[in-house]
Parts: sequence; structure tokens; C-alpha cells
Amino acid sequence: MPRARLYAPRVLWRPALALMAIVGLTSPTNAQRDRTSLPPEVYKPLKEALQKPYYELFDEAPGLEFSASQIAAMRKFLEDAQKGCVGKYQRRTQELEKQLRSEQASLKANTARIDDSQRKQRHCTIQNLRALEAQARVLAEHAIPVAYENRKAKLELIEKWPEELKRIKAEIAAGTHHQRRWGDVEDIGFRELVPGQERDIKDGQEAVREMKMAGLMPPEIENEAVKKYVVSLAQRVGKYSDLRVPLNVTVLNTKEINAFALPGGFLFVQRGLLEAVENESQLAGVLAHEIAHVTGRHGHKLMKKATVASVIYQAAQVAALILTGGAATIGTYYALQYGFYGLGLVLSLDMLGVSREFELEADQLGVQYAWNAGFDPNGFIKFFDKMATQEGYVNGLSWFRTHPPFYQRMVQSKREILFLPAKGGLVENSPEFDQMKAELKKVTAKAEEEEKDRPSLLAPVQGCPAPEKIEYKSGDPIEVLCPEPGDAKSSGR
Amino acid sequence: MSRARRCKIQWALTALLLWFSTTAWAQTLGQRSLYFTVEQGDKLIGGLTEKNFRLYEDGQPVPFKLAEPESPILVTLLVEYSQVSGLYLNDVEIAVRQFMEAAPDGNWYSLATFSQELQIHVDFTKMKGEILAAFGGLGQPFWGEVNTYDAVYDTLEKLDLVPGRKVLILIGSGLNTLSAHTLTDVQKKMEATNVTVFAIGAGTLLRGQYDAYLGASARMELVQAEAFLNMLAKKSGGQAFFPRFETAYQDIAKGVIATLQFQYRILYESHVRPDNKFHRLKLEAFQIIDDKRRDFSVRVREGWRWY
Repeated sequence: MPRARLYAPRVLWRPALALMAIVGLTSPTNAQRDRTSLPPEVYKPLKEALQKPYYELFDEAPGLEFSASQIAAMRKFLEDAQKGCVGKYQRRTQELEKQLRSEQASLKANTARIDDSQRKQRHCTIQNLRALEAQARVLAEHAIPVAYENRKAKLELIEKWPEELKRIKAEIAAGTHHQRRWGDVEDIGFRELVPGQERDIKDGQEAVREMKMAGLMPPEIENEAVKKYVVSLAQRVGKYSDLRVPLNVTVLNTKEINAFALPGGFLFVQRGLLEAVENESQLAGVLAHEIAHVTGRHGHKLMKKATVASVIYQAAQVAALILTGGAATIGTYYALQYGFYGLGLVLSLDMLGVSREFELEADQLGVQYAWNAGFDPNGFIKFFDKMATQEGYVNGLSWFRTHPPFYQRMVQSKREILFLPAKGGLVENSPEFDQMKAELKKVTAKAEEEEKDRPSLLAPVQGCPAPEKIEYKSGDPIEVLCPEPGDAKSSGR
Repeated sequence: MSRARRCKIQWALTALLLWFSTTAWAQTLGQRSLYFTVEQGDKLIGGLTEKNFRLYEDGQPVPFKLAEPESPILVTLLVEYSQVSGLYLNDVEIAVRQFMEAAPDGNWYSLATFSQELQIHVDFTKMKGEILAAFGGLGQPFWGEVNTYDAVYDTLEKLDLVPGRKVLILIGSGLNTLSAHTLTDVQKKMEATNVTVFAIGAGTLLRGQYDAYLGASARMELVQAEAFLNMLAKKSGGQAFFPRFETAYQDIAKGVIATLQFQYRILYESHVRPDNKFHRLKLEAFQIIDDKRRDFSVRVREGWRWY
């Protein structure tokens, strides 16, 4: 009957949809399918390799034998896994957002009908939902992409480093490595990188003055021993660099893991950096990188190239970041206002189109200066490695998306280290560094004590249970959040 | 009922009464910290000592001690920032800027804005520049509502949890659109919270220009808005300002800072009980010169409520 024939699809659409949903839910995801495409004897060692530090991979990668198709399969797997994991926490964020809005709407609708204890309970619920939503958002937008970008960068290293190493060795054998840009390392201090460093002093002084006047200058560390050590280390590195201006070092009592230089030799080192470095060569590497921004006159070039509008636009963006309490705090603000160059860990100046080239140049020159001053230049790479692996999440912003590709920075730095002439007695650590660390502990303890007493408007509503936490700590493997098929570990809520 | 049984019941009731009186009823506000300024005309008077003051709570004289004001001060800037305030956003911006430029170093500063709901942009910081940097990066206001009552209520609730000497700088019109809290709620909260409020009215200049064109209801709303800001200031021992010229903002900022520098602090044991009633305070300031008493005016909170 025609009527029955017309009716049949209406009857069937519900079961058909249900079937489609079941198929969708039970069929393997792309990531699962790709994982199965790699045999366990390849997948397992490759996965283990990706969890190793970068500097270990530089040594081990030439001995690893993975085919191009295996690497490609792993890359596809990582991309899909990232997409899946980010999607999971994006959905979680949306769900929590929805719950939050509905809870707020219900509170508003019933505000005249509820008593004080019911109101308090609803406030507690809203507070908890806000905390969970913020955590899920940070995971989706920062922590998960950072973790997977790290793995992809390491995969790239495994894939490309063996060939790159061969090329480097061939260049060294042929002696052509001397022809690279700034290859005249024996003449550091006597060569002219960019003329006119001394012309930047006035700009730097002006920037420091403005920062102080605007109330944007953090307090200095008051411990003389710490200050003396940092100043003398920076002066030592500066002495063996291409610096033509006096180095003016300030140690700031802020927990940011950063250091930055203003044009004209004004170097600022933050307490968080001193806490994060593990030995003298790491700190010397970072200071050398900053000094390289001064010798390369990067701040001056930045101000020249950037239009006023673009600087103001970025400053506004940074201000917004500052408010989030992320790592892009006040230091990043200076960057845009005054053309400073920091470690480039947290915020990009890519929009200005000048950052990438300058960061790579500062990496190269920094490695040279640390080496020339007698420090193990590998310290810089090891510190970067630590920052990427452990601090990516804490910082809340991915440096991968905002800076020259991490692989490129690591490889360029390693390449420069291999090109440097062999030198004995390179310092990795010193008793002075350990003494500074001991003194720093006192400074940190005092700062933490003060921080504890710091008043806050963000205190949780009194009488509510502590907000729930999505269990993920900085440095944890990403599988804690997004377990792979067959992984027994539970995911975050 | 036997006599022994009656006696037992009497004892039990007496014990219950004793317990009740030593717990709930005996509970009082305890030691209170009272901030105030002494004025003669437009001049702030400093250098007075304990013997120049008399304090009364609910009409009864109360012993007190003059104490050193707490330092640093915790200053919160609560700023109206909605599409509606777009009409007088220039006033708001000038007020924030002028205040932060006049604000001395060393205090804690925080910044919150409100339209539909309260948003905290900078938690307490000693780096004043962060406030202006954050304010400069706010972008266009998204919501059209001005829920002033909710924002003030929530801010007072948050400040109540923070110990120390607290000052709220409220920059806004005082208008209120769709708050969940009523004026009475805010009034009671103000009476219960130890925060000094300085309200800087925004939009007064605009109002002056268009006053002749305003309808009766619009005019009434603006009068209510002004009254609200005055109420907060009066209840808390602060001040409300309604500048009619751009240049006045700088003088107001300097005036508020000077007022804070001239604030006295009194410590006393309050006998206010948790009865949800308002308990009035009266503070007299005077000087005896040649056996003649010269009275000063005192800007002090009106009293306390504890609930």
C-alpha cells in the first residue's frame, strides 16, 4: 500500500539513528586504528623513545632504526590522539559551561525563594563548576597540545637527526662549517655583528625609567649573595661575548621562569629562573642567550619594524594574559612595550614577523658565548628540554605554536655546539652555584611566606568543600588524561 | 509532680539558661577596628590623641584605644564597565587612571569590573602598573546590564573574608538594572562589613548636559543611583563624589589618598550581639582650648550589624 510504504521510513528512522549511534560509539577511533597499524615490536620502543629527554635522543636517534612509514604511522597516530584528547576535554569544557550557566540561571530565577543555606549551597556548586571548567579548558587549550607537540618534535628528531648529523660531520670534515653565519667563533669579541649597540643605551634607560614610573617593575631580590653571584656570572659571559655596552644586571624577586634583556645591555633575571636551573652551565646558557639579544640589537630592530599599532594591539593581548595569571605575566608585557627579548618561552612576537629569525640567532650566539666563557654549551639545551617537558603545562601556553618550531631550535643549537672547536675543562657546575642555590632557598622561603600572607579576592566561598581537581600534574604522561586503548589507567574526570 | 522532680527541672532549666547565656547571648563582635577621619571645614585634622575622642555604642560610652593604622592598605577598585556605561566610559577611564596615578606605592591594589556579574581582573598586587595594564586591555563591554547591587554585595562578601584595613573605590553611576540582591541586602551587608567605601560617580557630567531633557522616571533613577552611592559612603565612613568636570577627578583621587593618610584607628570591645539589628555608633572629636571645647566633625561608619 502506498500509505504503508510512505510510513515505513518514519517507523525505521529511530532504530536507524540508534544503530548509527551504537556503531559510532563502538567502532574504533582513528587513533585506535592507527595504533593497531603499528606492530607492538615497533610501537612500544618508539613510544618509549618519545618519552625520553631531547638531549638523550640526540645521542640515541642515530642508533634507532625506524622506517619512514613507521614514523609516518606514529605521527598520524599522535595527531589523531591529540585531536581525540583535545576533543574529549573540549566537550568536557562545554558540558561544564552548560551546567554552570544552567546553575546560574536557576539561582537567578529562584533567588527570592531560597533561604541563606540553600543560596550558600548553590554558590558552592557554582564555585566548583567554575573551577572544573577552568581546569578542563586549560587542559584542552594548553596542556594536551603541549604534550603532543613535544612528542611530535621528538619524533621529528628521531626521523631527521641521523641525516642531519651526517651532514654536520661532513661539513666539519670538509671544513666548510667555518663559512656559516657567525662561524668565526675564535674572533668573538673582535667581530662586528651589528654596529651601534651603544646607541641602544638611551632606549634601554628610557624603558627602565618608564617601567618604574608605571609601577611595572617587580621588586629586586634583597639577598646580596644571590645578586653578587648572578651579576658576576652574567659579567663573565658578557666579557666573552660580542657585547660593546656595559651590562646592567638586575635580579627580580618574581617566580616567573624567565630572564629578559632590554636594548642597551639591561639584563633582568627572575627568581623563578634561578630556581629552575639545575647547574651553572644551564644558567650561563640562558644568560648568554639574553646577551645575544643585546649584541644582535634585536630589541632595536623590533621597535623599528613594528608599527605602533601592532605593539599596542599585542600589549592589550598580553594584558589579557596577565589577568589569567598564566606565565605570561608582567615580563611579557615589557616585551611588547619596550622591545625586550626574553627566553621566548611564553609569548610570541611572531605577529610582528621578526621574532623567529631573532630567536634562532640568539640561540646560536648564546651557545657560542657560553662556550667561549668556558661553560658546557649543552646546558642551554638541557634547560630547554626541562622547560618543554616539565613546565609546558605550568606555563599554560605552548611555546611551540608561538615560536620557531621547537625541533628547529633544538637542532640548530645542537648543530652549533657540534661545530664549536673542541675545548677541555668546560664547566658544568661550580661550588659557587650550589652556594647561590642554598641562599636562594632562603629568598624563596621568605617569598613563599609573604605569598601565603598575600590577601586575595579569589578566596573560595567560606564553608564550601574544596573545589574538585582534574588529576593531572605538570610532567605527567598525557595517558593520565587520555588512556590509550587497553590502558588500565583512569582518565581525568 | 513531686517536689524533688520540680527541683530537678528547675536546676536543668537554670543550667540550660546559664549555658545559653555563656554561649549564644554572650557572643559579641569582640574587638573592632574603627577607621575614621576628623575634619574641620574642608581641612583634615591630624595629631589628635585618645583624650580628644569619645565613643558611644547604642548611646553607651565605650572604652577604646587609639592604635596605629594597619599598613599596607588593601584597596579594591570596583568599576562599572557595561555597554550602558559606554556613554560615560571616558569618566570611568579618567577616574581609574587618576586614582592609580595618585595611589601611593606599598599598598595592595586589586581591580574588579561589573556589568552582568562581578569579574576580578587583578587580584591584590603591589605592582600598581598591573591595574592600569589590565584596565587598558579590557576591550569593549559585552553586557548591557549594570548590576551594581550584586557587584557591591559580592565584593563586600569577598573583602569580608580578607583580614586587614580595606578600602573599596567604587567607580560607576550607581544605577542598577537586574541585580538579584535588593538595596536592603546591600545596605545590611555594608553595615556588617568593615570596609571604607569611596564612591566616585560616573556620568554626572553627561547628566548635567542632558538634565533638561530627562523624563521624570529617568531623573528619579539617577537620583536613586546617587543616593545609593551616598548611602555606601555614609554607612562605611567614606565619601561619595560626583564630579562635574574632567579636571575634578585628579583632585578627588588626591583627596581620597589624603583622607586615607589622615585616617585614625580606634580599637574597642564591641558589645554588639548577633541579633541582626543595627547598632549605632557615635564618635566625638574635640579639643579643649582655654577650657573651651571645640568640636570637630568626624567621618566614621554609622554602626554595625552582625548576622
